[in-house]
Amino acid sequence: MQGYSEHYDVVVVGAGHAGVEAAMAAARMGLKAALYTINLDLICQMSCNPAVGGIAKGHLVREVDALGGVMGEVIDAVGIQFRLLNTSRGPAVWSPRAQADKKAYRIKMRQTLEAEPNLRIKQAEVVELILEDCHAGDAAAPSYGAAPRRVRGVRLRDGRTVEASAVVITTGTFLNGLVHCGEQTYPAGRSGEPPSVMLGEALRKLGFEVGRLKTGTPPRLDRRTIDFSQFEEQRGDPLPTPFSFRTRAITQPQTACWLAATNAETHRIIRENLSRSPLYSGKIKSIGPRYCPSIEDKVVKFADKPHHQIFLEPEGLDTNEIYVNGMSTSMPIDAQARMIASIPGLENADMIRPGYAIEYDMVQPTELAPWLETKKMRNLFLAGQINGTTGYEEAACQGLMAGINAGLRVMEREPLVIDRTQGYTGILIDDLVSKGVDEPYRMFTSRAEFRLHLRIDNADERLTPLGYRAGTIEEKHYQAFLEKQARISAATKFLLSTRLDPAGPAGRAIYLKLGLLREGGTAPLTGAQLLKRPEVGMEDLLAWVNEALARQGLEELGGNAGGLFEREEARRIETDFKYEGYLQQQQKQIERMRRAEARVIPESFDYRKISGLSREVVEKFTKVRPRTLGQALRIPGVTPAAVSLVNVYIEIFQRRGAEQPSA
Amino acid sequence: MDEETIVAIATPPGRGGIGVVRLSGNRACEIAAKLVHREPLETQRATVAAFIDPETGRPLDQVVVTCYHRPHSYTGEDVAEISCHGAPVILGALVECCLAEGARAAEPGEFTLRAFLNGRIDLTQAEAVRDLIESRTLYQARVAAAQLEGAVSARLKPHKQVLLELIAALEAGIDFADDDVPVLPRAEIVTRIEAIRCDLGKLVRGYAFGRIVHEGLSLVIAGRPNVGKSSLFNRLLEENRAIVTATPGTTRDLVAENANLGGIPLRFVDTAGIREAADEAEKIGVEKSLESLAEADLRLWVLDASADWREEDAAWVRKACAAGATIVVLNKSDLPLRCSAEDVKKALAGEGGCPVLAMLDTSALTGAGIAELKNAIVKSAMGSAGLGSEGELITHARHQQLLKQSLDALDRAREASGAGVHHEMLLLDLYEALRLLDALTGATDVEDVLGVIFSKFCVGK
Repeated sequence: MQGYSEHYDVVVVGAGHAGVEAAMAAARMGLKAALYTINLDLICQMSCNPAVGGIAKGHLVREVDALGGVMGEVIDAVGIQFRLLNTSRGPAVWSPRAQADKKAYRIKMRQTLEAEPNLRIKQAEVVELILEDCHAGDAAAPSYGAAPRRVRGVRLRDGRTVEASAVVITTGTFLNGLVHCGEQTYPAGRSGEPPSVMLGEALRKLGFEVGRLKTGTPPRLDRRTIDFSQFEEQRGDPLPTPFSFRTRAITQPQTACWLAATNAETHRIIRENLSRSPLYSGKIKSIGPRYCPSIEDKVVKFADKPHHQIFLEPEGLDTNEIYVNGMSTSMPIDAQARMIASIPGLENADMIRPGYAIEYDMVQPTELAPWLETKKMRNLFLAGQINGTTGYEEAACQGLMAGINAGLRVMEREPLVIDRTQGYTGILIDDLVSKGVDEPYRMFTSRAEFRLHLRIDNADERLTPLGYRAGTIEEKHYQAFLEKQARISAATKFLLSTRLDPAGPAGRAIYLKLGLLREGGTAPLTGAQLLKRPEVGMEDLLAWVNEALARQGLEELGGNAGGLFEREEARRIETDFKYEGYLQQQQKQIERMRRAEARVIPESFDYRKISGLSREVVEKFTKVRPRTLGQALRIPGVTPAAVSLVNVYIEIFQRRGAEQPSA
Repeated sequence: MDEETIVAIATPPGRGGIGVVRLSGNRACEIAAKLVHREPLETQRATVAAFIDPETGRPLDQVVVTCYHRPHSYTGEDVAEISCHGAPVILGALVECCLAEGARAAEPGEFTLRAFLNGRIDLTQAEAVRDLIESRTLYQARVAAAQLEGAVSARLKPHKQVLLELIAALEAGIDFADDDVPVLPRAEIVTRIEAIRCDLGKLVRGYAFGRIVHEGLSLVIAGRPNVGKSSLFNRLLEENRAIVTATPGTTRDLVAENANLGGIPLRFVDTAGIREAADEAEKIGVEKSLESLAEADLRLWVLDASADWREEDAAWVRKACAAGATIVVLNKSDLPLRCSAEDVKKALAGEGGCPVLAMLDTSALTGAGIAELKNAIVKSAMGSAGLGSEGELITHARHQQLLKQSLDALDRAREASGAGVHHEMLLLDLYEALRLLDALTGATDVEDVLGVIFSKFCVGK
């Protein structure tokens, strides 16, 4: 055997938003974990915008938090502007977003990691995986098909070898990263940092299907050189909405952002310099995100739009660096400077760093089982941008799930898979492993079939019990969760069963508002009935409900978080009453999907034995190896009829019993 | 990886001038080539060759072999068609040889199933293939052929697109609320839903006629005893007797036969005379007649023009009209006239009138007026849909039901939009409407919605 210099249960490669969640999850589960990064001073560096959350992404952060991740608590501690987005719509699509103090985020995250006793953080470049053949009888926990090999550890660039029962790779944009800025091109993992080339080659050699994607970032400006009087100020919410259910106070000083726009002159400069843009000169061949296009893309594709919105966002409280959100570009630096100067208020703006585009390697996520373990290599897990996603939040939720599942694998426990009815996290992973990616994948609420059910206010109800069972939720936090559930269920029961007295102090105001008092008295209505009226909200009934909770010895709605969650817990109850009809309609659809998901396709199912399936469809099924009929239906290019046929053959093979073919 | 190659005789059983054996699957062309000892065969070109008897090694028949390579074939797989002389023994020998080379006998409909599974045709087209093969009249065949070309899908496509764009617009408003994406005003949402609803409604109503094209029209001939119903029945059936076997009367009182009028398959039902029954046995007969009156798509109420109009006639005609579309026939026009169309109209004018579809004079004896009656019958079948060729599209109850459910979902969405319900909830019904249209033809993916968003809206900060 090799002489390993160190031994861990779980080794995580890469300390970005996915890596830290993976390492923390494994450590919190009681395992010995190590986190390897090329540069310890840049843990959880925000390579792009200095913000966490946003529509659908805020949902993901809430889910990460509910499952025992760290992202929520860290951003709550260092956020400098909190906004709840989409409040003009229903509560299902409300999503929190916060500007981060970029440096504070890094520091806070490192402190969090350092405070975890089971975790070691290490600066070293991982260049290779150490593998061994799987032995018969090795598979104590269920594996996906029977992977022929398993990972045993990693080799570092300095030659040391580290033994690990499971390895999680989260390399972000570093795998064979190539930066483009105008006519310039150079290898880098991020501007100013070396790429990870050897590990990229090692993964290619292992036979994974590797793709290449592109992303980009805008220039940063010096605050002192901007005339802010030209821009509309955008402030945060007076009462911030935290990301973490465990946050008790938001203490950071809050700051503003500014709204700006490009104009005809900006667009003229872009058009004139298009031939020098690597995107349009043909230098960049990989696909970038459609929903986060570069400014040159926007100008070309939407030529009739006279303006494009941009946001000026501070990168921190103690820095002059301003992020120009909406201006992602890989134009030559001189053109970038002129584009910036064409905007009134930025005429004299000094560019601290130029924008650039980066191409990087990804592994096609159809190589993964739904618990993020590779199908080819046991005990090897991938998470984050390497799986074709974009966004800190998308990375974090995968990192967390990969960390949890690496831990479960080491402990020889069943994997944890969140399904599409349980959370955005489940949707994201199911999309990746079933469909693969051909452009960077970002979460949207429209990807969620059961959006009304997957709200930020009930993420804990959906996921915290799962995290607790996996071991990522501390006992005291789980008890707090149970208390919250108890007061919400008591409040709901109370509203359903108790009539509000029209003569009482709370009742009078409400019945008056409803115009029910003038008609010469009215029969008292229950709280639930009152909430069905559009004019009545939980804020009208809050005091009445809280009194009832106090009588039962329970805390008021919102618990002991100083008012941070009072409104949210109240809304959660209100939503269930107000939108009952739609929620029920959706419940029926959930049940329809669950039926399809309940039909399990045996792991050894041989699609070649189905007569009538085309070779293409057989190939797709064999590549993805869907676990259920529901997942089979989501594979692109597979017709419902083909899935019905699979269903029929599952039946046939099962009847044949002993004859059941094995792959 | 080897999909099975299937083989079947593609022409109808029995002796014919030409017979065709069809193969589909990976080895289709290879097997066909072996049979004629000509390898390899050119693609999409008819090759004249000899089918060699494997036992004697000598030519058994001169055949024409055509190969189609995937995906340019009916099934989307490699297909070979061997045309030989239409003798059952030769066809049988060809199939035997294919089986010996490793092909498998195809299940009924398996070629079409493969075409469907390979995405060559959608569900409505697969149904149309079956309809085309089973069609009894040329007109039916024409409708089925149009569907095979994808007429239903083509007809629904623009609506699906409008729906998809509406969904995308609403989704963009939700997912990109922070970008400057325009939010659709309520009135605009309602207008867009209304446009789809209106046209889908037309298609659903067209099913009334579509069903007749597909399943045929049932027509009942009724009237008092001795008005000439049976002679009329025989006259109408003359030269029009359907090729398919006649259905014997289900009771001794009802006689039914199939015929083809103007391309529409008709089922004629002759009934026992209707009158106030004298005894129990006759009462049963009359009740049967009244029942069939209610069940039919179209009623011919026959009157004797050579007899006086009676009070009870008005009641019977009204009863027929109440059951549905009714044509009044004044038969025995060859005899001296005692009751004219004018008289009947007058008699029926009271009590709010009676909506008779048409009134015609005929003589079952001489054949006078029979051609006009046939025209009226065909016209009424078309007219009940009132849509001309549009009405031919929806021929299956499955289509109609899906369309109707889709309409219901659109109704709910329209109402919700008017009431200012949040878009993410309104979308539940819009997705449901789209899902039901998809169930007719094929699936939409969330990627389609995102595709529209990114092509129509400039989003991304």
